[in-house]
Amino acid sequence: MSISSSANERQHTEVKQTQGIRSTSPITLSEWSINGLALIRIFVGYLWFQQLFWKLPPDFAGLYPYIVRESLHTIIPGYGFILQHTFLLSCTNMQAAVGCTLYVPLAAGVWSAELIVAISLMFGLFTRAGALLGSLLAIQLYVGLAYTEWIWTYVMLVLLCLALTAIPAGRRLGFDQWFAPGLQTAAKNHRVARFVSWFA
Amino acid sequence: MAHVRRGLMAGLLAGLLLAMLNFVTDSTPGRTLPDALRWFGISIADPTASRFAGFFLLIVLGGIVGIIFGFVQGERFISIGRSLLSGLLLGLIWWLIFSLLLTNIMNHASPLSLQFGMFLVTFPIDLLFGMVLGSIYFQLQGQPVVAQA
Repeated sequence: MSISSSANERQHTEVKQTQGIRSTSPITLSEWSINGLALIRIFVGYLWFQQLFWKLPPDFAGLYPYIVRESLHTIIPGYGFILQHTFLLSCTNMQAAVGCTLYVPLAAGVWSAELIVAISLMFGLFTRAGALLGSLLAIQLYVGLAYTEWIWTYVMLVLLCLALTAIPAGRRLGFDQWFAPGLQTAAKNHRVARFVSWFA
Repeated sequence: MAHVRRGLMAGLLAGLLLAMLNFVTDSTPGRTLPDALRWFGISIADPTASRFAGFFLLIVLGGIVGIIFGFVQGERFISIGRSLLSGLLLGLIWWLIFSLLLTNIMNHASPLSLQFGMFLVTFPIDLLFGMVLGSIYFQLQGQPVVAQA
């Protein structure tokens, strides 16, 4: 079975084939390969899932020391300033979130985003959207924490999530297998469906 | 009997995935695997043996649940939507029986007592087990045979 990454790509390939212009051979993934990628997707989702538990609501206390570290050791000038005036606004203590005004709502946003990535990847639910969000979160972690840990730690996470953004790994062992055909059919007539179908 | 065999295979593979997920835990690998033994009141003193026994018990339980899944689905071809939703339902039942009732009973707690952290640790993973079982079952069916006129 051929797993094409989107309806557009498939149409593009068909057009090329009918014109007899075949510059490169189309890439076809076997069932074993796509199921293997689906397993990798589940484990990457589980990686994000496990990281929810050391910063649980309602106070998200586990996240606080990392935000402080990011504000002190970021690799991008100015990023620490942004953190100090958002997450760490009015905070009076380096060890615990004391006196902070915006920390809890912003930390809730981070936690929710990580939960969305975990659910999306584990259940293959709009997998590429989840992987894209995961890539952004991992890039943010790299920017903030790269100097404080092994330099490749977060690069690997970024690369894993980018790989899952490129490949529709949710179309096996996931809900995208159910949703993708309907979305691709609708994509022929609706621009929004075409956009959404890329994420499944 | 093909549907029961499909269910068994899907259950064993989904059980293997569940056991593997329980192996890659934070701090100590396989830390939560002996929980499966405790559901049945079994305890093994050696931690390594206990983890391996829990690992294999999860696979066996997956196989048993898979047989029930195949039996319930019957011989007809089921759609991907139905197989995924049935799998989720199976995962929910698994969570209710093992992660909620048996865990609480074995810990001498109220059978339905639930903490947010515990719910978050177990519920999505048990649903995932069920969904994967349903998805594998669907794939093992192959394509439906269309009757010729």
